[in-house]
Amino acid sequence: MIKFINKPKSAALAFMAAGAVWFVVGALYGMISGIHLVAPEFLPHSSWLVFGRERPVHVNTMLYGFVGTMLVGGGLYYLPALLRTKLWSEPLAWVSFLLWNLTIASGPACFAFGYTQGREYSEYVWLADVSLVLAVACLIVNTVLTILNRNEKVLYVSIWYFMATFLWTAGNYPIGNVMWHPATGAMPGLIDSIFLWFWGHNLPGLLITPLATGAAYFVIPRVTRTPLNSHTLSLLGFWLLVALYTHIGGHHILQSPIPAWLKTVSVVDSIAMVLPVTIVVMNLWMTARGFGARVWGDPAARLVMGGIVWYIITCIQGPLQSLPYLQRVTHFNNWTVAHAHIAMLGFGGYIALGAMWHILPLVTGRELYSKKLVSLQFGLLTFGLTGFFLVLTAAGLIQGGAWHNGETVHRVLPQLAPYMVSRAALGIFILTAALVGLFNLYMTVRHGKKLEVRQLQQAEEAL
Amino acid sequence: MKMTPALLIVGALMVFWASSFIIVGIPSMTMKETPSDIWRPLTAEEAAGHRLYVRNGCSYCHSLFIRVNDWDIGAERIAQSGDYVGLEPVILGTERTGPDLSQEGGEHPDDWNIAHFKNPRFTSPVSVMPSWEFLEDSEIAQLTAYVQALGGKAADLRQKRQRHWKALAVTAYASGEDRNIEWLHAQIPEVWRRMPNPYPATEASLARGKRIYQQFCINCHSPIGDGKGVAERYLSPPPLNFTILRRHLVENKYIGGIFYYQIMNGITGTSMPYFKKHLESEKIWDLSNYLGVYFVGYTDANIEPRGIDAAYEGDWENSYPVPGTEQPDTGRPVKAGR
Repeated sequence: MIKFINKPKSAALAFMAAGAVWFVVGALYGMISGIHLVAPEFLPHSSWLVFGRERPVHVNTMLYGFVGTMLVGGGLYYLPALLRTKLWSEPLAWVSFLLWNLTIASGPACFAFGYTQGREYSEYVWLADVSLVLAVACLIVNTVLTILNRNEKVLYVSIWYFMATFLWTAGNYPIGNVMWHPATGAMPGLIDSIFLWFWGHNLPGLLITPLATGAAYFVIPRVTRTPLNSHTLSLLGFWLLVALYTHIGGHHILQSPIPAWLKTVSVVDSIAMVLPVTIVVMNLWMTARGFGARVWGDPAARLVMGGIVWYIITCIQGPLQSLPYLQRVTHFNNWTVAHAHIAMLGFGGYIALGAMWHILPLVTGRELYSKKLVSLQFGLLTFGLTGFFLVLTAAGLIQGGAWHNGETVHRVLPQLAPYMVSRAALGIFILTAALVGLFNLYMTVRHGKKLEVRQLQQAEEAL
Repeated sequence: MKMTPALLIVGALMVFWASSFIIVGIPSMTMKETPSDIWRPLTAEEAAGHRLYVRNGCSYCHSLFIRVNDWDIGAERIAQSGDYVGLEPVILGTERTGPDLSQEGGEHPDDWNIAHFKNPRFTSPVSVMPSWEFLEDSEIAQLTAYVQALGGKAADLRQKRQRHWKALAVTAYASGEDRNIEWLHAQIPEVWRRMPNPYPATEASLARGKRIYQQFCINCHSPIGDGKGVAERYLSPPPLNFTILRRHLVENKYIGGIFYYQIMNGITGTSMPYFKKHLESEKIWDLSNYLGVYFVGYTDANIEPRGIDAAYEGDWENSYPVPGTEQPDTGRPVKAGR
């Protein structure tokens, strides 16, 4: 056991493998929720599988469990690799692994039985909150000390993002989850919604986005074998992200009676988010410019690049959605659900998977069991998610348009059935992609062809 | 600019905390909790219901605030910050798979809510809400208490109205089926009682009416209109049996206006909701024709007084015989109009 948790890169592998498992669990819950929106009597009389209880399991398992866990795993590999050193403490990374995954496991274990704080994205019960914050604290210590013990002078941009993610989350998570109120995890009165959406938006923005951006900055130049396009753009993208993103949670409650100045700040900064996003995307695209074939030819890099495309789509849509004029129609309906899926599965999920497939041979010393299966996963995800996005956006526009024109929610419900059926059917593709990924990962770890030491060194030095 | 560990760590923290101070620090210091005109504290039972609402994820499908551009249930009261004083947590919600509930209190009587929690499709046939029958009856009572408190003092006013009319409606029902219908009809304003259905009961109209019936009415009033739908066992007074209306036509010929009024405004105190937010005029008239033709065997569609026929109307003549004047039963269905 001691030997096992001291094995270099073992925690990185553990995080990535756990992410692949959580992807299957989350997709399964998503699948059942999707069916329930068409057939509410599916699997009746099971209190632990009703929409109100399974939805938070799906959402949290996907956010923290699949995307978050897998990206942290990738980071635990590239952090020491880019600094030409070893992770400061492998056992400490295993402690974070344990605490982090305990929090995620508390989702299916608690929500299904009504133990939840009930605030969207902040549902985990107080003890699980504590566990997650401790995991983050361990990651901060490990990352800082790895940076201080480095043999490479330059801090590459991926390191900035990986380090900052945990510094921000350590502040963000306790504030948004109102951890000083353990019983409810909430503030009394309307101000709670400001705390809630502070974390509700910083979760994708300052936890998932920096992790995914860091991973993309790691994978793309390695695959294209070109230096990063611009150091200045990297700097701008990084500092603008934290300066702007922190302000914009209010656009989730734009039409509620919160103070007007908060609404203004959230709308203005939401629009301004176009800047850091475009800067990051352009920087990565310019890096890959002229080497598209190398990106497309590598299934892992293809997933990462796919994620970057979803990122720009999400982040053009996001600022537009924050405009009060548009939000009258797009808020409260499936439009938002479509947006959330391309953000989390499209941007975060694609990059997490791509980085995982890219890094997996480097941490296991084995070739991928099957590159074809990675391509299959890409195809299944892309078909499923594109369909999902189109169908849900259409459904959302039908709802929003009808409501705005005076129809009631009840009246529009029957019209949504064909879209909800299509959405559930498309969910099968996403669930299959998760299963294919888990199988491929298992086969790689157990039966992948061993790389020779020279090959492995070559692969690691590719930067 | 060269990124050093010190710059990275100190810079990232400083920018983050400065931004956070603006967005949560300043509101914490400046937002005041001042109760609004409709706010009142929750009772212990309502607060227990609020916990159940939070724990069971009701907020994933129901919002708790009305916007300026809303029309649906509750839209008379645009949310104010003082409506949420002391609630922990206030879950405003992000989705409306179901309707907003911020003003739900008193929209329906308790028994309707209980039937709805047992199985939402009992009261709202197209609903996709899960059934909560696995909760204890005491928990359903707490949830009902919470939902009935949504809207604060405005909800209390509506609840008072529900209770007032419920007592009268239950007494009327206890006095016998026919006396009950006389009481119900006596509550309809005079001008509506002698108003025939101005819409011809064409096949198309009846088909539309049937669709509305199936989406809204069928699980209380039953597929054959006898009031013994699946929700009936929860409701007091029980849903109306349409088939006995034959002997209660006004002047032995008018029923359309009564149907229209009851569908539009509901019968407060009973589980009959108002449908005027869901359905506009033509849909209600089509539904009245459907109820008449299928469950009463008669509709007053297009009889006098009728004014000038609308431009689109064909030469449809009402051929439904007035009760008591029918030809001997041939065993074949009555031919519905032309």
